[in-house]
Amino acid sequence: MRGRRFLTWGGAALLILGALVWAAWPSSGPQTSADRAHELATEIRCPDCQGLSAEDSSSSSAQAIRADLARRTKAGESDAEIRSVYVARYGLSILLKPQSSGLGLLVWGLPVLVFALGAAGLALAFARWRREPRLHATNADEALVDGVRSG
Amino acid sequence: MKASLGILGVALGASSAGLGICALARGLWTHDDRWLIVGRRAIFFVLGGAVVAVGAMEWALITHDFSLQYVAANNARETPLLFTITGLWAALEGSILLWVLVLGGFLTFTAYKFRARVTDPLVAWASLIGLAVALFFFALMLGPANPFRTLSNPPFDGQGPNALLQDHPLMAFHPPMLYLGLVGFTIPFAFAVAALITGRFSEGWLADVRKATLIAWGALTIGIILGAWWSYEVLGWGGFWAWDPVENAALLPWLTATAFLHSVIVQERRAMLRVWNLSLILSTFCLTILATFLTRSGVLNSVHSFTESDIGPWLLAFLGVVAAGSIALIAWRGDRLRSPGRIDSPVSREAAFLVNNLLFAGLAFVVLLGTVYPLLAEALQGHQLSVGGPYFNLMTTPIALALLLMMAVAPALPWRATSTDVLRRRLIIPAYTAGITMVVALVLGTRGITTVLAFGLAAFAVAGIVRQYVVGARARHRAESERWPTAVRRMVSGNPRLYGGLVVHTGIVCIAVALAAFGAFTTRREVELARGQSATVSGYTITYLGNRTEKSPQKTSVAVLLRIHHDGSDLGTYAPAISTFPGSNEGIGTPSVKTGFLRDVYLTLVSSPNEKGRVTIGVDINAMVVWLWIGGAVIALGTAIAISPELRRRKVRVDREPVSAPPEAGPTPSEEPEVVPV
Amino acid sequence: MKHPARWAALVVGVGVAALAVVLATQVNTNPQADEQTHLVGKQVPTFTAHTFDGQTVSTASLAGKAVLVNFWNSWCIPCQQELPALKAFQQEHAGDPNVVLLGILRDDTVDAARPYAEAEGMTWDLVNDASGNLSLDFGTFGQPETYAIAPDGTVVGTQFGPASTRNLDTMLAAAQARP
Repeated sequence: MRGRRFLTWGGAALLILGALVWAAWPSSGPQTSADRAHELATEIRCPDCQGLSAEDSSSSSAQAIRADLARRTKAGESDAEIRSVYVARYGLSILLKPQSSGLGLLVWGLPVLVFALGAAGLALAFARWRREPRLHATNADEALVDGVRSG
Repeated sequence: MKASLGILGVALGASSAGLGICALARGLWTHDDRWLIVGRRAIFFVLGGAVVAVGAMEWALITHDFSLQYVAANNARETPLLFTITGLWAALEGSILLWVLVLGGFLTFTAYKFRARVTDPLVAWASLIGLAVALFFFALMLGPANPFRTLSNPPFDGQGPNALLQDHPLMAFHPPMLYLGLVGFTIPFAFAVAALITGRFSEGWLADVRKATLIAWGALTIGIILGAWWSYEVLGWGGFWAWDPVENAALLPWLTATAFLHSVIVQERRAMLRVWNLSLILSTFCLTILATFLTRSGVLNSVHSFTESDIGPWLLAFLGVVAAGSIALIAWRGDRLRSPGRIDSPVSREAAFLVNNLLFAGLAFVVLLGTVYPLLAEALQGHQLSVGGPYFNLMTTPIALALLLMMAVAPALPWRATSTDVLRRRLIIPAYTAGITMVVALVLGTRGITTVLAFGLAAFAVAGIVRQYVVGARARHRAESERWPTAVRRMVSGNPRLYGGLVVHTGIVCIAVALAAFGAFTTRREVELARGQSATVSGYTITYLGNRTEKSPQKTSVAVLLRIHHDGSDLGTYAPAISTFPGSNEGIGTPSVKTGFLRDVYLTLVSSPNEKGRVTIGVDINAMVVWLWIGGAVIALGTAIAISPELRRRKVRVDREPVSAPPEAGPTPSEEPEVVPV
Repeated sequence: MKHPARWAALVVGVGVAALAVVLATQVNTNPQADEQTHLVGKQVPTFTAHTFDGQTVSTASLAGKAVLVNFWNSWCIPCQQELPALKAFQQEHAGDPNVVLLGILRDDTVDAARPYAEAEGMTWDLVNDASGNLSLDFGTFGQPETYAIAPDGTVVGTQFGPASTRNLDTMLAAAQARP
């Protein structure tokens, strides 16, 4: 074990944190319009297939959507504008990622709420366990002690 | 004739289940053991009825007996034998036949296992519940989903199975595995309900149904992975998991069952979490019924909605009864079951299991919410919404990473409490392995914090597992001077649950790495090629050689021959195709995949040769997909180890006290007993 | 909070009951059936297309007429089912210059569709949407789908799935009811 003394927690933390910072460091330039088109295509449902995105499907309507997105992003339309064009034509169900407004707030917020409640519950339980004595004397225990004392 | 035989089988199964329930109920009511023995016998007749019915259906399929409506709809004279046999689960009615067969098998296995405890009320109640579930499914076949309906004018030829279902041999394994998994959870469910009814919450029965639970869990895992594999090899969209409602439906019981497999260890060791564990079992079973309902009722858009049917309301009613009953039982007994135990330190194995359960339950909640949310939104707001891949990826990735972290750290934590010295000894090398792996991944060009973190945590977990194996085997090697292979074998069979579980973890690591790599390094292009032309995607050169048209009575397919070159070496010729089946109007694409350990070249034919003889080819370079299937195989191996009989040092057969067996040796790493502070 | 398990069971029970009610109300509805065009009441998207014979059809050339736009494919079986209704409609209104039936090939090739249209006697204007832009502009989910356009260019009605003679007549009446 002595040979591994030089492996300290600080070293490990430094190594891992360094790697994480490097990984998160923005490496490429600004997003190109083609990147944006691909990203949007993953969020738009292919209308005539079952739940696949326009990016994943090879159906003709998915191809048309990909071409349309490439054209629109190139023309400089913003993501929100493009989404609203599709919603106007197809309705909200065309978006695979529900909007975080109105009722859509529920689908994003509820999991966070449930996690927060769960984590808080666990933390409370640990705090209680820490406070409470390890063993409680039950009535039977007390009776036993009383019996011994009086006897 | 076959129809009558089949109906006879179904009727035998249904009546045996019904009679068995009556006998068991009477025996339990009057405390008359003879009725319990009669009731138990009914289980074997239930299996017998299912075998007869399935046999009749297979007979009809193999002899192409189109006087049966089911055979005419799901079989044709030209259907190959394999897909004739798999026709049993090509549509709803047949898959319910398979369901009762598997359920009959599980019930019989359990009845045999508990043969010495026939008169134990707990076992009797469990048998009663199991039979009630079987009765429901037999009743479905006598009512709305009768597989043995006959046609007065049998056609000369049948329609054949759904085109997608007769394209790949994986269809022979994916549904049965999935059913083995989904149905298997009936056994722990039956015992959990029995324990709640009888109020006998000792840990004994948990240990006794562990094998059935593990078999079901393993089969469900493999079934899900085979489904992903089928999707990858057949559907041709380049992926394997689309967050389709039915995929999610199969994942949900897997998540709760996995949570249960972990938290049950805490119950065995510390007699805590009883209510929680029972709730997990009950919800797992409810979720299997929900999965069946979502698959078969067509309420949600899904690639799996192969058959529209009217059994939706039946399944929903059954789900309602099961869920209401479960919740009522927990409400009635829950507070009595609560145990006074406590967890001493937040840095301990049992605390880690609690966090693990929070994560798994949260993940299940996210998946359930996302899956049913479109229905909720429509009910509340009146217009449709979709919840798809982008939502699930965003929400599940952090949870999955947290689970990976727990998987890496938790097996190294001692029970009760820990010291920094122990942590250092057990975790410092894995931590460095993780850091170095991350740096190497970055140097090799990986970007994105999620991907790098996933690789690092995977390395962390693997290093921890390897360490645990090495330390354990080394101890035996030194103490008993056994040779290494013997030491490893004896160590594993001494605690198969721990070491099998670690193997399962290794399989999960394979899958995590594959998912991270697939998400980060996949290239997708569509190229249009004339004959003789080439295109290069990510260093792979694809040359269009020519076409091949195959006509068989079963299908007509146009394949495009493509040669792949990489780094100057010829990787062979691949032929993605589009097939058209008689009776179906749209072409079904068949991808062609050059599989490799690091990269797959996934070729699809987007459009067949046009007027100018040009074809459009989809070329996906997918990273590390094969590791998903390898991971699946490793999980299967790990599950097999975990259910293998434990080798005890002293081969003394301890007669178990019928009610509560002593908790078995849990998965404490036994290698460093001196450092476990109590 | 004397009985935590009871409280938890109550909360879960309420959630499950709500879910069950939602599932039960939707158990027999077809999810596809609810997909509706969001174009109704809006202006028809502008387009220019060429018929199989090379003539130009555009929003400008159709202005002032009641138009039924029908998305179809030669391989699509529901489209074959609605063919008699379309033929009857065309026969009835062939002489009326202010009523137009326009067939748009949604996901098919002219090579396959042209002989089919000739054999079936589809005499109305047929255009091929090779780029898929028309079906995208109309927001189609599949085929057959039929849209009714009033003379002022407003989309007034829609039919998803095979149309009957009655559907077509209703849509035409709605289109003609507007100026």
